Amino acid sequence: MSAEVLVFDILAVIAVIAGTGVVLARNPVHSAISLVVTFVNLAGIYVLLHAEFLAVVQIIVYTGAILVLVLFVIMLVDQDDLPEFHKGKPLQRVFALLLGVMLLGEFAAAVLTRTVVGQPGPWTEENVTLAGGNVQVLGQFMYSGYVLPIQAIAVVLLVGTIAALALARPEDMSRRPRARQTGTISLGHPRGMDGTPLPLPPGVAAARQSPQGEMRDGIMIVNDAESYTDTAAFEYEYATLGPQPGDRKRNITGSEGDE
Amino acid sequence: MVDQPLWITYIVGFIVLNLLLVGMAYMTWAERKVIALMQDRIGPNRTGPFGLLQPIADGIKLLGKEDLIPKFADKRVFVIAPLISFVTAPLAALVIPFGDSITINGQEINLYVTDMSVAVLYMLAVGSVGVYGIILGGYASANRYSLLGALRAAAQVISYEIALGLSIVGVFILAGSLSLVDIVNAQRTSLDLFGSGITIPNWFIFSQPLGFIIFLIAAVAETNRAPFDLPEAETELISGFHTEYSGFRFSFYFLAEYISMIVISLLAATLFLGGFDGPVADGPWWLLLKASIFLFFYIWLRATLPRFRYDQLMGIAWKVLLPLCLVNILLTGLIRLASNNQL
Amino acid sequence: MNELSANHFLLLSSALFIIGMMGVLIRRNVIVIFMSVELMINAVIVAFVGFAWEQDSMIGQTFALFIIAVAAAESIVGLGIIMALSRRVDTVDVAEVSTLRD
Repeated sequence: MSAEVLVFDILAVIAVIAGTGVVLARNPVHSAISLVVTFVNLAGIYVLLHAEFLAVVQIIVYTGAILVLVLFVIMLVDQDDLPEFHKGKPLQRVFALLLGVMLLGEFAAAVLTRTVVGQPGPWTEENVTLAGGNVQVLGQFMYSGYVLPIQAIAVVLLVGTIAALALARPEDMSRRPRARQTGTISLGHPRGMDGTPLPLPPGVAAARQSPQGEMRDGIMIVNDAESYTDTAAFEYEYATLGPQPGDRKRNITGSEGDE
Repeated sequence: MVDQPLWITYIVGFIVLNLLLVGMAYMTWAERKVIALMQDRIGPNRTGPFGLLQPIADGIKLLGKEDLIPKFADKRVFVIAPLISFVTAPLAALVIPFGDSITINGQEINLYVTDMSVAVLYMLAVGSVGVYGIILGGYASANRYSLLGALRAAAQVISYEIALGLSIVGVFILAGSLSLVDIVNAQRTSLDLFGSGITIPNWFIFSQPLGFIIFLIAAVAETNRAPFDLPEAETELISGFHTEYSGFRFSFYFLAEYISMIVISLLAATLFLGGFDGPVADGPWWLLLKASIFLFFYIWLRATLPRFRYDQLMGIAWKVLLPLCLVNILLTGLIRLASNNQL
Repeated sequence: MNELSANHFLLLSSALFIIGMMGVLIRRNVIVIFMSVELMINAVIVAFVGFAWEQDSMIGQTFALFIIAVAAAESIVGLGIIMALSRRVDTVDVAEVSTLRD
């Protein structure tokens, strides 16, 4: 029983137990934690197989990025208590279990009675150490013969990113955040007896050079509160009631002048 | 790389771990003292001479507090989450070389715990697993503000991890290896300064200034330190991920942060300042001196700068640091090819 | 079984694959189904690396790296779909999302 087999046994058993934990855990967060344990043990197995770069890439990409995203999604998605654990069909589960055991038997039979086909490659341990280590050999191998798949994967990742952006947009366009607009609400706008703002008399509104404000959803939004309040109230009264004694001498268009 | 029996490796690892823990404890003292002096006050000076027993007093206080677990919290995850942070933090220090091999009683001993061929990526991988301490801590607290604070902190960490990893690709290109021992050995040669006869050591801070700056910024953000500590500072506003933690569980998070600070300072010293390389005598003292410079820089940043808002923080990671990293990689690759006459 | 051989890795790979497959069949939470699919993909990666080790070839490790990259892209899209789905039907139970069937 060599040390390698012992280490492999420990890592493999924990990985399989954690794998069943993924499937059987009731809480999806516990599933994710079990999956992290599985991945870390698999990374240990890759180190045993002299694939150290793959092991650290597995931890950085799979546990450090993909499972973190999975945890994000679990926590951001509203989950109710799913009925699968107290309302599932037991017949379906027994069937799945039988299927799994059968399949495991078939796989084991295929594995244990297999014959090796093809010739071994050149990268034995000594050759790898001579060439500089696992990373150097992998780099040379990938970037000399497999440049095109690397570019293809870059495109795949780009497409995935764009897809994620497209999926994250709110579908209902009315819920899309509008561009922020700021405005000042005029409370000095003349109001009727029930408090609703009154529209300006048509002559007054037409005589303006530039609109000082607009009605939006029943609220008067103006550009400059002071000048609007000053002129609007006056002009409403001026237009409806006519000039009063004591009014400031001002024209209807807002320019100063003598009465 | 010397063949040594496994028990010697364990002893070296034990010593490194103890050094880290003692360093972490006195880092808390140093931070309080230095910030105090920068703010024109004195800092801890009552517990022992110059307040040197302050970390011990803090430890006793935190250990003596009541261990509260919220009623609806997920108990197992609540207990495990700070442990994940605290355990993965010192794991990264296992690959840092503290010096050449020394000889005791005729047995040569390496002054590092292990020399992996993927050492730097291993440190990044261990840092990636540390994110789970944050997320699970926020989840297990059964407090929606803790959860949101945890998600924000986790998003910050994983965003700056990218900049951290990419900023040192230039160092890998120049050194030709991912192993820290190889990187330190590559820096021990001398660089002739433009052929003028002045020699400086081939430290990568001179060859990779942009990478160094990006690494420094990303490292500060990665450890959730000021000025990038909005997820933490919000503890004061009841939205940090360790709100529900008290006593020694909180101290796990708190100390994990200091340990990761020390480890990243050691990494920065090894990658950019030559590690244990020094003008007079190569040895671990130089490495510790250089790491102390970075630690002082950390404390100085905390005492001086206001913190970033969260959207500014994320904008810096994705819109500023990441393109600069890619430019750095491109330039370094071109220069390396040109110097090898392969362009 | 005393010396480490590729059969060990293939048995581990098949065990993980079958566990993942049962997870996809039994569970109703779409996120757990997604994680089971990731488990199946990792089982395949173990098989690749086991063969690469047995045959002293680098192709297995290269392909495993490609699989990890493509799995990352697939997870981006898959998780995006899960979030969009949950926003629309407000549940993560796959048994509820049966409009095409009915």
